Formats: sequence, C-alpha cells, structure tokens
Amino acid sequence: MNTDRQLSVALIGNPNTGKTSLFNMLTGLQQQVGNYAGVTVEKKTGTWTLPNGERVDLIDLPGTYNLNAVSLDERVAVDVLAGHSADAAPPDLVIVVVDVENLRRNLYLASQASELGVPMVIALNCWDVAERKGLQIDSKLLEQRLGVPVVPTVARTRRGTGALAEAVTRALETRPILVRPRWPEAVMESLEYLRDELITQRGEALREGELQRLLFDKRSAVAERLKTTAPEREPILRRAREKLHMGGYQPDAAESLLRYRFLNPLLNDILERQAAMKKRSTSESIDQLLLHRVWGLLVFVGMMYVVFQSVYTWAGPLMDLIEGGVGKLGDFAGGFLTATPMLQSLVVDGVIGGVGAFLVFLPQILVLFFFIALLEETGYMARAAFLMDKLFSWSGLNGKSFVPLLSSFACAIPGILATRTISDPKARCITILIAPLMSCSARLPVYLLMIGAFIEPQYGAAIAGLTLFAMHFIGVLLAGPLAWLLHRSLPPYVTSQPFVMELPHYRVPQLSRIGHRLYKCGSEFIIRAGTVICAMTIVIWALLYFPRPPELAEAVEATAAETSPALSPAQLEHRVNAAYLEQSFMGRFGRTVQPIFAPAGYDWKITIGVLASFPAREIIISTLGITYALGGEIDEGSDDLRTTLSKAKWESGPRAGEAVFNLPVALSIMVFFALCMQCGATVAVIAKELHWGWAAGSFFGLTALAWVAAVLTYQIGMWLA
Amino acid sequence: MPILPMRLDRIKKDGLFRVTKLDSGNPCIARLMTMGLLPDQELRLTHEAPLGDPIAIEFNGCQMSLRIEDAARIEVEAIG
Repeated sequence: MNTDRQLSVALIGNPNTGKTSLFNMLTGLQQQVGNYAGVTVEKKTGTWTLPNGERVDLIDLPGTYNLNAVSLDERVAVDVLAGHSADAAPPDLVIVVVDVENLRRNLYLASQASELGVPMVIALNCWDVAERKGLQIDSKLLEQRLGVPVVPTVARTRRGTGALAEAVTRALETRPILVRPRWPEAVMESLEYLRDELITQRGEALREGELQRLLFDKRSAVAERLKTTAPEREPILRRAREKLHMGGYQPDAAESLLRYRFLNPLLNDILERQAAMKKRSTSESIDQLLLHRVWGLLVFVGMMYVVFQSVYTWAGPLMDLIEGGVGKLGDFAGGFLTATPMLQSLVVDGVIGGVGAFLVFLPQILVLFFFIALLEETGYMARAAFLMDKLFSWSGLNGKSFVPLLSSFACAIPGILATRTISDPKARCITILIAPLMSCSARLPVYLLMIGAFIEPQYGAAIAGLTLFAMHFIGVLLAGPLAWLLHRSLPPYVTSQPFVMELPHYRVPQLSRIGHRLYKCGSEFIIRAGTVICAMTIVIWALLYFPRPPELAEAVEATAAETSPALSPAQLEHRVNAAYLEQSFMGRFGRTVQPIFAPAGYDWKITIGVLASFPAREIIISTLGITYALGGEIDEGSDDLRTTLSKAKWESGPRAGEAVFNLPVALSIMVFFALCMQCGATVAVIAKELHWGWAAGSFFGLTALAWVAAVLTYQIGMWLA
Repeated sequence: MPILPMRLDRIKKDGLFRVTKLDSGNPCIARLMTMGLLPDQELRLTHEAPLGDPIAIEFNGCQMSLRIEDAARIEVEAIG
C-alpha cells in the first residue's frame, strides 16, 4: 500500500440513513465544504483519526438510492468511487451506510458500488430503532454472506463508531470486496462487446462497474466523461443494449431484476423476521392526519403561517438591534473622520451603510433556516412537497419548490439557498429563476411610500390595502407562465428528473445538526456581505459622490443667499447635496438614460433612484430623499418626503410645470420595483448557485420585464385618466 | 375467480396489491425498480394528496410518492 499519501475513505448511502450524522460524528468540525470540479454538487471532506493514530481523508458522497448515474449526484458518486473525479484519487475504502429498516434496498447500492472494485465496510445504521421495533438482524451472519465487515452503528449517539473505526483500520489492510452477482451470458457478452469497443479499441479508462453503468442505464451520465464523441459512442451503446435485449433481457429492467435476484437469497431468511413487523408504522399513522386532504392541508397552512410570522416577529427585534448597531457604528466612525469628509462619506454612507443594510437580513435568514432545518430533520418537508406537488407540476416544477418560493416573499436570498433541497436540477434552476419575482420585504418600503403618498390620501385605506396585495400578487401571476416557458425552453443539459420521492420515517430532530446547518448558512451569508456586497456598495457610492468640485457648493450657496436667504443651514446643506448629486456620474447618467424611462413617466430624479437601486432596492428611498433635496436620512414613513414628492413638478420639457407624480407614475414605479431584479445580493447568489450566465440572464430578463410592465401600467393609466 | 389486472392510478381503496406488470421504459418506474418494486412485489396504497395526485405507496417498509401519470404505468392485482 502506498504510504506517503494520506488514505481516503468515502461514505456512501441512501438519503435519510444518517450518513451525514455519521460523517459529522467521525470528523467533528474538521470539515471542508466545496464543490466538485465543474458541477454544483456539494463536496464535503473531513479528517478522521483512526484508533492506530492514522489520519484518513473522509469524503461524504451525496446521498443517493443507486448509482444509475442519471442525476449529477449519482454521477459524482460513480466518478469518485471509480477514481475518475478530477479532484480526487479513488478512495482506498468505501463505507456504505445502510438503514437497517430498508436493508434490501440499501444493499442494492452497496452491490452496485462493489462493481467498481473498491474495498468496503458496511455500517448498519439506526440499529437502535431496529432494536426498538424488535427487528433483529444477525450482523455476523450477514458479514459471512456478504464477505465484508458489517458493523451495527447508531450515528446519533456515537454507538458503534469505535467498532467501525477498528473494522475500517483492518479492512484498509485486508481490502475485502462485497460478493458480486454472477451475470448471465447475455450480460457478459454485452459487457465484453463494450469492453472491446471502448477500452481495447478506443483506449477509454473504464472500470467494470462503469461498463455496467453504460450498459444498464439508458442515458448514463458516465458517457459524458468519455473521450469518444457522442455520434461515435451512441451506436456502440445502442448495439450493446440490443445484444442484451436479444439475450432475453429488457435493458431498462435487467439490472434491477438480476441484482435483486442475487441479493434476495442472501437476505431472505434474515428479512423474514422483518416481515413479522406490524403492518402500519407510527409514521404512517401520523400521516393519516398530516397527509389528510382536509386536516393535512389545514395543518400545513397553519405551520407555514407560524413559520413566516416568526420570520417577521422573532427576527424583528434582532434586526432593530443590528440596524441600531450599524447606525451607532456609523456615527462612531464618522466622528473620527470629520476632518476628511470624503473618507467619512465612504466609510459611513458607503461601507457601513451599504453592508449594514445587507447584514440586517441575517436574523430573518437564520430564523427561516431554523424552520427549514427543523422541517427537513423531522421528515415533514417531504410531506409538504407531497401535498403541494399538484399545484406546481403543470409548470414543470414539483412540490419541493413551495417552501423556497414562499421564503422568497421574505427575501429571495434565503429562498434561493433553500432550493438546495430540490433534487431535480431543472426544477431547481427554474425555481431559482422565478424566486426574485416573489415580492420580498425590501420592496415593502417602496410600496408603502408610494401608496402612502398617492393612493391612501385619495382612495382610502381599503384601496391602499388592495394595492399592496396586488403588488405582492403580480409577481406570482407572472411567475407561473414564466416557469412554464422556462420548462419548455431550458437547454437540454439541464435535465429533468423523475419525481419519485421517499416519505421517510418521522424522527426527533437533532439540535446539533440544526445548529450545524445554521452555522454554515450564517457564516456563508456574512462572508458574502464582507466581499461582494461591500465592493458593490463602494462602487455605487462613488458614482453618486464624484465628481465633487468645491466651486459648485460655493455657487449654490451664493445663489441661495440671493434668492432665499431664509434657509436654515440644514436646508442649505440639502440643496448643496442635491446639486452635487445632479452632476455626479450617476446623476449625469440618469439624465442620459431618462428618455428610456420617459414612457413609464419617470423624470431624471426617479431615473437616478431606479438606477441607484440596482444594488439594493431600498436605496431608492434615500436616493429620492437626496435628489429631492431632503438629505439622505429619510424613511418611508417620513411625511416630508411624501409631501415633497406630491409637490414635485417637471422642470422642463413638454410637461413643464405639471406634477411629476400622479397615480399612473406611482403605480408604474411600484410595478417596476415589484418585478425588477434590483438586488445585487440576489444576482450574486444566483451566480453562485447556478452560473454567471444565468445570473446575467435573470438580471436583464427581469429588468426588461419590469420595464415593459411599468410602461404598460403608465400608458394604460394615462389613457384611462 | 379470475383476477383482473388493474392500473395503479385507478385504485381508490385500501388493500394489499401485487405488481403484475411494470413499464421499465418510464424513468420513474425504472427508479422505483432499483428500489425493489419488481413484478410480484406486494404493495399498499397508503395516501393520496388533496387533489388525488400524487399518491403514496408502501412496499418493503418504505413509502414512496409518485405521480398519477407514472402510476398508470404499473399494473397490479388485488390480493386482499
């Protein structure tokens, strides 16, 4: 055995077998999380110290039911086990984590893995549950029959981890391989044909197990790894499957039939005792209520209500605390920098203000993720997806999209992060792309300002409430058809997966695992705030601040002294700021771009507000505040801003003297904000979760959609008025 | 009494069924087969979502949800 290299051990297993618990238990917090090269599959590795003091790399492979290499997760598992993953040598050993209650199905995966020639140890996990249910499995007998060590474990209480470590230490020397089926003649011949065509003639590096994947799986992702081009390899693969068919085996069904035919006799007498278990499990009884067509839905709605209510109420005080802290920090830092106004503005308005506005969302994200983790750990999430699936299936999504989309009403960022629970890559991609259409809480200030200024005074509270609802609804209304369109038009490499979903047994959630998940998503969020967001706010700040010739301030002050000498120093400062803003880079840009927004009824000041809000939509409030010469410190409840807006007049052009803001303009602004992708953080998250191309597409697509809708709103509104 | 094969999507009642025929060309069915849903396997229909789709079946101690359109590709016979 090679001793100068650190040994590596892979963990593989079905979802819900406690594989990740075992991984956390064995590695503690010594983990690294990254992505596998070129794919968005999470790669988790850690260091595990064996009893003899040797340290091995432990790789946690994605949970998967089989190695049929249709999804990315399965493909990654095959590649890693076969040693064809770009970033890792083949593991020296694989631990298959097996759920005792689903022994047969779990050993199917072990059997597929053994074909890749990796030595194996089996961890019979959830041993305690099995014992409680009176399920006795003779692990020694199983070990004899399978030919590899079988160790009973209880990952959540550490039981059996010592024995597992010893078994692994020994197995790294003895390298035991799981018994393999003897394949019938037809299978052997087809494999031989593939071996000859691909390995002998075309020099492909393929293991026996990978040849099986190419033969048995209709659209095996393993094929994409080959050097042989698709037009050349497709006929070979087809021919191999035809051979199998002529030998009397349906190619799609052959492996399941033959492998279970091989496994069943090994397990039958062991499993007979299992059959004697009571017919209806506790989980099924709970589901009689939770999946009931009336009560189940009521419980679901109630639960969602509690979750989202908590996102607002629990997070509220913490958000105030952060906001207060950020404000104090700004004052504190600003106090040191009064001598250098530019640096003061950069630090206080740019860095602290901008990053602070982003960090404020941290409590909401943590509260939401706490509930998501809780629902997942208990097993309820799959039930929620089951109840909601019909609502989504027509547009190519599935029930698992529900919670991420609902989360996006609070904030699209946790919503997009929550799509990691969607296993189908296509549905996940679509969900991410439509999530920004859900009206997030950052849009609320804009709605409140416009409704408060132009709708409530004229039409009363009822219409105001209705408008607020309509603004939240318009995104949903457009999201459905958009999802349907995306489903039809997504490029074929974003594959759709069949929607078969396990409803796992309910279990008591582990606080340590929930804590672990919260820590992970919280730290990711903070790192993003410190990097991408920080850089973006500085850019916008600079565009609003420069150039800043001192002559301008003097000129404004001189004019003011002549025309309106009664101005207070604060009012004068506002005027100076407004003048600077008007000729800043952003201000000039706003004037140049204004014709584009003219059909939506915007003057150059609104245009600046809209442009400046692209990093974060809340910025419009403070930008409108600056542009309408009130100073930056303003919020949506401020009567001053409301009255100033309603008094604003066009300065020039065909409509000079008329009010800038009327009902159609206010509606058009709201519609624009409801649909537009004005959130740098969301763009960055989409880029991270999918790809920069998608992020750019989503940005331009939604902005165009928002523009069209805003123009339509304004034009129709003007026509009606 | 001859046992009539039924399509799984047509079944609305509780009871034990045995799989008689599966369309392995359907990706969902292929997936269920790797989990052990093979001819002669016994299964129970355990739940239906509010609009009757998807449905949940239990076999070999595990509960799987599948959509009605896929369930239509599975034929079963009642065994009790």
